[in-house]
Amino acid sequence: MSTSDSSREGGWVAAAIGPALILLLLTAYIPIIYALTLAFYNKTAFNPEMDFVGLKNFFWLLKRDDLWMALGKSIVFTIGSVGFQLAFGLFFGLLLNEAIRGRAIMRSLVILPYLLPTIVIGLVFRWILNPEFGVVNQILLFWGVVERPINFFGGLDVAMSSIIVTTGWQYGSFAVLLILARLQSINPRLYEAARSCGAGTWRCFLDVTLPNLRTTLLLIALLRGIWMFNKFDLIWIITKGGPLQATETLPIYIYKIAFQDFNFGRAAAGCFVMFVILLVVSVIYFRYFNPTKEIEVNR
Amino acid sequence: MTKKTELPGVFRQLKTSRRSVLRSGAYLGLGLAAPSIISRSAWAQDAKKITFISEESNPKAQAVYDKINADFEAETGISVTMEYPGFENIAQRVATLIASGTPAELVWYGAGSAMEVALQGQLADVSDLVTDIGIPDNLRLVVDGADRSVATSQQFVYGWYRSDLYEEAGLDPYSDWGSYLAVSEKLNNPPAMYGNIVPSAQSGASHLLMETMMQKNDAHWFKMGDDGEYEVYLDQGDNLGKVVETLEFLNNAHKFAPEGSNYSWGDLMSQYFTGRVANSYYVGARLLEQTMSNAPDLAPLTKPIALPAKATDNYYLSVQGFHVGKGSNEDGAKQYVKFFMNHPAYIEWLHSVPLHIIPSKQEVLNSEAYMDNDVIQQRMDVLEFLDSIWGKGRAPYYWDGDKLNKYVGLYQNDSLGGWMLAAMNIGGKDAETVVKEAADQIREKMSDL
Repeated sequence: MSTSDSSREGGWVAAAIGPALILLLLTAYIPIIYALTLAFYNKTAFNPEMDFVGLKNFFWLLKRDDLWMALGKSIVFTIGSVGFQLAFGLFFGLLLNEAIRGRAIMRSLVILPYLLPTIVIGLVFRWILNPEFGVVNQILLFWGVVERPINFFGGLDVAMSSIIVTTGWQYGSFAVLLILARLQSINPRLYEAARSCGAGTWRCFLDVTLPNLRTTLLLIALLRGIWMFNKFDLIWIITKGGPLQATETLPIYIYKIAFQDFNFGRAAAGCFVMFVILLVVSVIYFRYFNPTKEIEVNR
Repeated sequence: MTKKTELPGVFRQLKTSRRSVLRSGAYLGLGLAAPSIISRSAWAQDAKKITFISEESNPKAQAVYDKINADFEAETGISVTMEYPGFENIAQRVATLIASGTPAELVWYGAGSAMEVALQGQLADVSDLVTDIGIPDNLRLVVDGADRSVATSQQFVYGWYRSDLYEEAGLDPYSDWGSYLAVSEKLNNPPAMYGNIVPSAQSGASHLLMETMMQKNDAHWFKMGDDGEYEVYLDQGDNLGKVVETLEFLNNAHKFAPEGSNYSWGDLMSQYFTGRVANSYYVGARLLEQTMSNAPDLAPLTKPIALPAKATDNYYLSVQGFHVGKGSNEDGAKQYVKFFMNHPAYIEWLHSVPLHIIPSKQEVLNSEAYMDNDVIQQRMDVLEFLDSIWGKGRAPYYWDGDKLNKYVGLYQNDSLGGWMLAAMNIGGKDAETVVKEAADQIREKMSDL
């Protein structure tokens, strides 16, 4: 290839990827860098000026009991929600992989929650689980399961579980899709071989299905784990972190620092902390599970 | 054996040198800074434009703005660009615009929210407008010796009750704390009907109930110290007893109320117009408006009433008005405020939610033009009630003394009164512990300022 050809090719590539890179730079990297920089400044909402304060915002934040409480809530929420999604995905994935009647319709229906806007999910669940008017409480009362309505999103002991179930229901579809796709790519001969060795359904599941799903399940756990750890909208719509901080996860806590206390510098420090936590978890994940190797093994 | 990976030819072309990096960095920096420089210059210098952010979400009120704006532009040549971020988001919107160095010329929202902006020196002096228009003293917001808010309207926190239920039970409307608990207990028949409503959440609805009842009991958050500065008074001396008494009263009332651990303003209305509570409250008359829309049969039976008094007959006062951004097109914004307040459509704007948006001047309330409205004609009892409590409203930033209390945001922004109710009614803590913890929270925030 001559120099002029190669420089022409370089020009085409630069023209092709340039706009996307600029867009990414403007919409993602610069705001991220700005937000991280903000963590080192005293930046309040009512003043365009900002003063460099070094690590002061971090020291302030790390001394707060609220931060650790919110981190604990975030971990509980993330593990609970991702666990629910994996169970949901596994159950419906296995079900929809079988040759049952109405499978095509069920496959369409199961993806529906994922397509609904979060605001709709939030409002629908608030009504379904409403202690006074909600259909769930009416059924529980009618069947005599409970004597008094359960305040699902307002009770200190049940609010977090209710939020976990709501998010699990919405995002479980994502797990169903991935698991179903993987299930359909498992070589049927593996099952035939297992059965010829005397394996029953449960043994086939443990020795064939589960090992083949391992990578997919780990991938779902990582992706959904990151998304759930950052989850803000649904929790804010339904409980705003209440009652009495029972559902106040890290994003909610940081939002309150930014828009109730109007302190953007401290909120940015909170975001930095979240970023570091996710980074550490991701590094551990990639080191420990080595997804590339997993994919190679499973190929 | 590891094979060294080579970049494809095209990427090898992307060689960099120190000079090219520096040049690219300079271009990038200039490119990034340019929009901000251009927009700031344009904002600061354009005397023929106003950006107006309004809390209003009602389409009727927005239509009135459109009408007034068109007339204003025709008369002055100044165009008005409206933004309606909504009640929940306006404080954030205003704050982020200021933080980015591009404040709006005009903001219409609560004076309490504006106070924080004024304290940071971001609002223009509007004393001339306040004097010209004749805004009453109890609606003023004075920071650094100058008015920072032009009040257009106000709202009081007061109660609403089902007169039919009272009549059936042979009860008289409540007047004090004892009679409030008595009627609430008598009318309480859960889960079909609750005697009253005491939201116990870290929400504005919950906080305002606590703050209102503290005013009724002459309990204070702060006290003016010997040095002329406000200090936390919540858990001090006799005041501690009054705050504890208030909290215990609301805890007793909560026994005849739905749990309400996640209630906000909407729940106060929906619980009422679905016929599940005998007594509710609101800041203003929107509860009546919603009852008229959703349960027309209940509307005539819905009567206004002062929340029960104890030591005082004060009313929590919420003031809304115009606020002019300092350093913006101040002159254009001030012209607009004057134009708006003197425009005939100002009355139409007040009528967008009749009896809810109360004029700032009593003479307007009692004017024929204001009364010329179907809803007001139907509910002259509400207008008479408002007229009877005129002047008794006290804005929170003047509740603890005649000097503006700049610290109210420390307990209002995160609805600390609501937290107190939740901690006792839902969390099960005793009143004194809750009050002391609340006081500590305010002190911690003060020390952090």
